Amino acid sequence: MSKNIDLTQEGIQVKRSCCFFCHQNCGVLAYVKDGRILEIEGDPNNPTNQGALCCRGNIALKHLDHPARVNYPLKRKGKRGSGEWERISWDQALDEIAAKLDQIRNEFGAEAVTTAGGTQRTDDWARRRFMNLYGSPNGFHNAHLCWIPTFMVETAIYGWCPFETDLTSSRCLVQWGHNPGASGMPEMRGINDLKQKGLKVIVIDPKFTETASKADLWLPLRPGSDLALALAWLNVIIWEGLYDAAFIENCCVGFNELAQHVKDYTPEWAAPLTWLDPELIREGARMYATNKPGNIQWGVAIDQSGTPAGAAMHARALLRAVTGNLDAPGSDLLTGPSKEFITDEEMEANEWLPEEQKAKQIGSDRYKITSWPGYGKIAQLCKDVWGKAPTAEWMCEAHPPSVYRAILTGEPYPVKALLVSATNPVNSYGESLQVLEALRKVDFLVTCEYWMTPSSMLSDYVLPIAGALERPTFHSVYGCSDFVIATQRAIQPMYERRTDFDFWRDLGIRLGQAEMWPWETLEEANYYRIYPLGYGVSSYDEFVEKVFYHFPEREYYKYGRIGFATPSRRVELVSSTLAELGYPSMPTYIGPAENENDDPDLAEKFPLVLTTGGGFMPFHHSEHFQIEELRFLRYEPYMDINPTTADKLGIKDGDWVWIETERGRIKQKANLTQGIHPRVIVTQRGWWYPEREACEPELGGCLESNTNVLTSVADKDCDPIGGSWANRGLLCRVYKVESSTITSGSNGKDGK
Amino acid sequence: MARYAMVLDTRRCIGCHSCTVACKVHNDLPVDMIYNPVTTVGPVGVFPHVHMEFIPLLCMHCANPPCVECCPTTASQQREDGIVWVDENKCVGCKACVMACPYGARIPNHEKGVVQKCDFCKDRLVLGKEPYCVATCHQRARIFGDLDDESSEVYRLVNQENVVRLLPELGTEPYVFYIMD
Repeated sequence: MSKNIDLTQEGIQVKRSCCFFCHQNCGVLAYVKDGRILEIEGDPNNPTNQGALCCRGNIALKHLDHPARVNYPLKRKGKRGSGEWERISWDQALDEIAAKLDQIRNEFGAEAVTTAGGTQRTDDWARRRFMNLYGSPNGFHNAHLCWIPTFMVETAIYGWCPFETDLTSSRCLVQWGHNPGASGMPEMRGINDLKQKGLKVIVIDPKFTETASKADLWLPLRPGSDLALALAWLNVIIWEGLYDAAFIENCCVGFNELAQHVKDYTPEWAAPLTWLDPELIREGARMYATNKPGNIQWGVAIDQSGTPAGAAMHARALLRAVTGNLDAPGSDLLTGPSKEFITDEEMEANEWLPEEQKAKQIGSDRYKITSWPGYGKIAQLCKDVWGKAPTAEWMCEAHPPSVYRAILTGEPYPVKALLVSATNPVNSYGESLQVLEALRKVDFLVTCEYWMTPSSMLSDYVLPIAGALERPTFHSVYGCSDFVIATQRAIQPMYERRTDFDFWRDLGIRLGQAEMWPWETLEEANYYRIYPLGYGVSSYDEFVEKVFYHFPEREYYKYGRIGFATPSRRVELVSSTLAELGYPSMPTYIGPAENENDDPDLAEKFPLVLTTGGGFMPFHHSEHFQIEELRFLRYEPYMDINPTTADKLGIKDGDWVWIETERGRIKQKANLTQGIHPRVIVTQRGWWYPEREACEPELGGCLESNTNVLTSVADKDCDPIGGSWANRGLLCRVYKVESSTITSGSNGKDGK
Repeated sequence: MARYAMVLDTRRCIGCHSCTVACKVHNDLPVDMIYNPVTTVGPVGVFPHVHMEFIPLLCMHCANPPCVECCPTTASQQREDGIVWVDENKCVGCKACVMACPYGARIPNHEKGVVQKCDFCKDRLVLGKEPYCVATCHQRARIFGDLDDESSEVYRLVNQENVVRLLPELGTEPYVFYIMD
């Protein structure tokens, strides 16, 4: 990790590994000697990063052997959360966990065992496979907040999610609630390159972000009002005649109905809802519709907006359809699943989960498109047309807030165990106070982790997990891309770390699943998956070293040959799939989860509008606060506030302030900026303090600055279609931290 | 003979600090030492009419480096290829160069008792590699090369783009050039 290391010395092997600190999975070359990594650098041949690495990528070796890492299986000695641990063997841990899971299944049914996941650090087909064979439908991630409902709504309308943006010949890119300038460095490089060639960039974001600073047009909308904006854009494009008549005639159904439906959603109607000038709304719609081909890049903002999220995804999806920006060169491509390698879905053993167990999936009675009722229907359509289905893990899950509630209330049935892998739920899931209570209450809690996080602190067992350099990575965009980028482990896991694949497999074998786990290692499983590509390699590592990645030849306009994977085989501007599931077939206006129009009393008490947590360098979600080579850049959490508002509230730059919603309050420091509307507040996500005590009641300061204390998971604030809870567009108030209020807890109910 | 230079394309920089971290980690710098900070200017203006720029900084490897001139022990030196560097064996940590440098590019190392600075990763150049901050930059906002080589990218940019040097009035003649929007 240093200029002082001689990389020309004998015996060094260069391994083609990757970074796992966000989803881009940038390539990393690791210089390995005698089983130790001496140095890493960006892999210049990796198509994603082409040699570059961001802040996080650069600290890979600090992460690999950080003194705070969990390196051995731990079993709690004292009370839960007491911080007293006993080191045990993997065999003992797995035997005891398996025995407990067997007992719970016998006593309460398999559905009483649930699993929580985070962002991708894992091979979650293995987790799904374990859960399907065990018999529980109750796995979940923060999927509902991140792309998954978008994927499912778009697939309902045009048969696949067009997540692959064919930017090279694009003329206009809409970044809708997405800031690659702080969260997707390789993506941003592409935008920088293409901007110099004339690509127009529209940024829709309440905050003047890094990406907005490079944009041609910035639309600073009221947080959570994306639906009103999307409907107004549809109105402009349709009623100004900017739509693609040929595409609509040949490929779509329901255009006339849609045109009538959006007739009254004019820019003048949307202006007071979005806080945007009607002319600015028109300018954006015209720019997108008339600079063809164009792209709308997915961003999490809509997914995280709660109540209106599903309708907003729906309206945004229709913008691509009416402009014909689907599967044409330069537009958003409907690649479909890979027909060449074995996909995640094919590894999941979904057919082994009995129908009666699928029916018990928590939340599937309400949030249907992201659970078995909707997924089952859409997966079948995909199989009929594409030959394969989207991944079920992520796309078809239990509703996380409903699971935490079930732990607390026993409704709809008792939940007794939570297996946590690659997530720190206290900081990552909505309404932290409820999540924390659930983690404290659940009978049996197991965490697979790198660190002692606030959530692992509360566990019965903490298991040490291998990081990116210690495991092979099969990168195929949650199992849904038609391409794969394959990287290898640089070294075997250090200490007693194992991969999550090993965990699920070894647990499965102890629970009678031995026959279903023919692959002893992740490399064997990955080899099985790439074998059909026909490169004639004899191992997965040989594939990585000789082939590295597989991109199929691009075929545009596939719908001309196979149609769209919908019931009508056309783009359904009036969606029959959504209607069959009991949802509106066209997007209809719903206000933001909390807003001044529907609830003026609430707005009086909480006069500011809050959006929580976009990505910011150098952290990722709730990670990396331990690493001083990153933490020095941002030692403390910051919230953005307009100087006019701050002045009225007596807040100066750098003051600690309370941000409070109906759920509770947190402390962050004020960053005074003209980059947001005077009525908008933006908080940073993820914050906890690993330097604090790792036991009750401190739990690493996990509530103090944690923006999820503020978010809402109440059913009334959740999107009825996809179950997204409300992180954006909430009502809040802000006031300075004074000596009289500094010591109170984070629930905002005391100390004032 | 080469004359090394760097061009910073602020049209492309997004202020991600990857260069800062890469430099720190790979040069084994203590946490409180930064050779190449990135400053954020803005958002300037009044909402919603604002703009923002990111200005990466580092040693300017001046043609007339005041830090070399003022060094009482000749620890501060300039090579023929323009790289300004410190011979740590000769440095006594008097900090005269810290005072002399108008760009704040001289950083005392309190652990070692010497002053250190960016040296364009001269040890990597020997291996045919670019400085860490250049190699790590996703945005390709940092371009490094030999200004004496007419086929180099830095030569092209310095001669074709509208580049500026920082504090030109001081006559230090930096070999770090900025492309501004």
